[in-house]
Amino acid sequence: MSPRAGGLALLALFAALALLPLGVRRDDLLNFVLLILLTITLAQSWNIVAGYAGQVNLGHAAFFGLGALTARTLWIGGAPIVLATFAGALVAAAFALLIGAAAFRLRGAYFAIGTLALGEILRTTVGNVLPEISTLPVASIAGYRLAHRYYLALALAALSVIAVALLARSRLGLGMQAIREDEDAAEASGVAALGLKLRALVLSTGLAGAAGGLFAYYQISYYPAHAFNPTWTFDALLVTFIGGVGTLHGPVLGAILYVFLKEYLTVRWVDLHLLIFGVLFIAIVLLFPGGLVQALIQAGNGARRRLGRRSGAPT
Amino acid sequence: MSALLEVEGLDAAYGDSRALSGVTLSVGPGEIVALLGPNGAGKSTLLGCIAGLVRPRAGTIRWDGRDLRAVSAHRIVEHGLAVVPEGRRLFGSMTVEDNLELGAFSPRARAGRRASFERVYALFPVLRTRRRQIVRALSGGQQQMVAVGRALMASPRLLMLDEPSLGIAPQLVSAILDALVEINRAGVAIFLVEQNVRAALTLAHRAYILEGGRIVGAGGGAELLRDPHVRRAYLGPLAVHE
Amino acid sequence: MLLIEQQIVLGLLLGGLYGLAAAGLSLVFGVLKVLDVAHGELIMLGGYGAFWLFALLHWDPFASLLVVIPASLLLGVVLYAVLFGFVVRADEETRVKNSLLVGFGLALALHALAVRLWTADDRSITTSYGGAVIAVGDLSIPVIRLLSLAVAFALIAGLHLLLTRWRWGKAIRATAEDWQAALLTGIDVRRAYLLAFAIGTALAGAAGTLVTVGYSVSPSIGLEWTLKALIVVVLAGLGSMLGTFVAGLFLGVAEALSAAVFGGPYREVVGLVIFVVVLVLRPRGLFGAR
Repeated sequence: MSPRAGGLALLALFAALALLPLGVRRDDLLNFVLLILLTITLAQSWNIVAGYAGQVNLGHAAFFGLGALTARTLWIGGAPIVLATFAGALVAAAFALLIGAAAFRLRGAYFAIGTLALGEILRTTVGNVLPEISTLPVASIAGYRLAHRYYLALALAALSVIAVALLARSRLGLGMQAIREDEDAAEASGVAALGLKLRALVLSTGLAGAAGGLFAYYQISYYPAHAFNPTWTFDALLVTFIGGVGTLHGPVLGAILYVFLKEYLTVRWVDLHLLIFGVLFIAIVLLFPGGLVQALIQAGNGARRRLGRRSGAPT
Repeated sequence: MSALLEVEGLDAAYGDSRALSGVTLSVGPGEIVALLGPNGAGKSTLLGCIAGLVRPRAGTIRWDGRDLRAVSAHRIVEHGLAVVPEGRRLFGSMTVEDNLELGAFSPRARAGRRASFERVYALFPVLRTRRRQIVRALSGGQQQMVAVGRALMASPRLLMLDEPSLGIAPQLVSAILDALVEINRAGVAIFLVEQNVRAALTLAHRAYILEGGRIVGAGGGAELLRDPHVRRAYLGPLAVHE
Repeated sequence: MLLIEQQIVLGLLLGGLYGLAAAGLSLVFGVLKVLDVAHGELIMLGGYGAFWLFALLHWDPFASLLVVIPASLLLGVVLYAVLFGFVVRADEETRVKNSLLVGFGLALALHALAVRLWTADDRSITTSYGGAVIAVGDLSIPVIRLLSLAVAFALIAGLHLLLTRWRWGKAIRATAEDWQAALLTGIDVRRAYLLAFAIGTALAGAAGTLVTVGYSVSPSIGLEWTLKALIVVVLAGLGSMLGTFVAGLFLGVAEALSAAVFGGPYREVVGLVIFVVVLVLRPRGLFGAR
């Protein structure tokens, strides 16, 4: 499937999704799709740093949480949700800038465990400072419209996909690819690694913060510390890797598969989807680093060869 | 007299470049054979191939007539080949005694390790005195002795050394080279990669010259010492500082 | 409201377990250059082993160490053969990153399995002597935790002896320092890796048992203990098991002091903050000195 065909497919998909609430009245279906869209946003945002700048950020939940906290506070205080979400994104990105320079002194696995620790520090602190559950005022609950949440989710998911698409083609994106392949060589040839990594981090965390804003808008009541829980990071990690880290479609495919499995399997065995994804994840890291996207491309090439037609994409 | 070690047509790559092309050489029992050549010629890569650390692209390596390429790296010492690597590569945080003992790790060597200890201490008495010392604290020359000793603990029939005189005070260099002569007198063949060309050629029965991954010359030690190309490239005023 | 001295003593007792938990991780990281972030889950499994031996067979938890340790050793062999043995095929930098990811997947899978098999509830072991304390002045020292500290120390001392006196222990250390030189001297580096990983897992299992008898166990202690172990390893650096044990004690005391000064909820934060600070000050990680 050529990039153009892939792009058109995504466009068609989003158009269909935009029309969905108009045709469908079932809340559970809208909830389901909303969850997928949230997961797409979260995963694509994580994909920016992992797939394009080559660093595994295990503190992603911290930015999600900061976005949620900011957005919730402002929105309950009276601000329009779009503004509140945007503010959430800004706060998350600002925090990223704050810790970015120090964090990027760490390479590889040390960056991963360092960001994990950072995320946990934030979660514990927020949990201590704001231990009470945050519930929407009664008036808000009465006027709660799922469709509004749905459209915000759709907008954010579209935004994140477009951001990654543009990124891959841009100067910033190519610079990041160079770093990902070989940081030392890139530095030697003039690519200012830190600046690029920071820009990637800002974009990534801003989107995560926005996703947090969506979560704050969506949840009627939750513990503020819950939005900082590392499971949000792990979800993003799983989805992106299984779908195909560093690809455009990977997080989308991964998110769809993930939410489907999660919702379907929850009935029988609460965390079975995690067991499956854990094993799948290991298989992907060791055997199939390109994830589902790579698997599909290879299957597609295989099918094309069997049909006797010339294979389009290089193997 | 059949050769102990036979290398034929060896090709190896280092990254994208050709490190070795069609290298052919041999070492007979009890011989001292030197491998000379400029930096980057591929000498260490050749040793790496023989020791099983580097996988060659083509060619054969035979030991006692058997294919050495089929043997995994940690088993090579069991066959009778021991290596003193460049830069010594000792286990710095461990004692002299421990380093030597690890040299006798393989089963065959382990069986004779008491005798091996005596041989090594006889050769390098200073090691006996310092045997409980952490290797990192020793001087360069003493560390080289430990490295040679560690290889000897395996009771090898062929001892391969990669630049043993590098970074060592001149007085100690001759001590080490004298030790090599003694080791050879006891029947151990020696394959010596050395930048100190004069010393190597004085010691060696035969030598090969490796330049740019290819063998460009071979002959007796004394003969090569007199060879004009060798004198110009390696022993003259423009040669590598000895 | 406990005396600060009491808090410090309790912190010390817990710190011994931190040290034991870290020792296994440190061994694996130092030798294989593999960061097994599922280490906490291995601790959790050891804990459940002890719990079920107690609940079903009424085995005293200290006695159950005799079963948990060999069983964990075996588990380590299996995990290496099936999983981490493949991770070590890559070069060092890729290895560390891959092991982080693989460990993550493993931790997720083990956690989900534990929840399914044993529910998310906390489990603890209450022995007949469980409540006993030794009074020293104003302080009361829980006997079980004191025994656990002694066992932890004994295991660490045993490990130290293993690594310095046993032939394969020396081979493991040699492999950690320079695996190519180890190959040249005839050491089967793959076997050294296997042994190190198995021993590391055995230590995790033992730590889990001690955690369960002194505190409690649940599927979620995995992440918590992986973080504790990581903090201690980063604090102590690699190389010395005894040093790791001491760093564990230090963390325990630091947490106790932080709880006393800032209040209970901030106990966890001090360790994490120390961790991040030390990491940033040593950005080349633990191998930087070489």
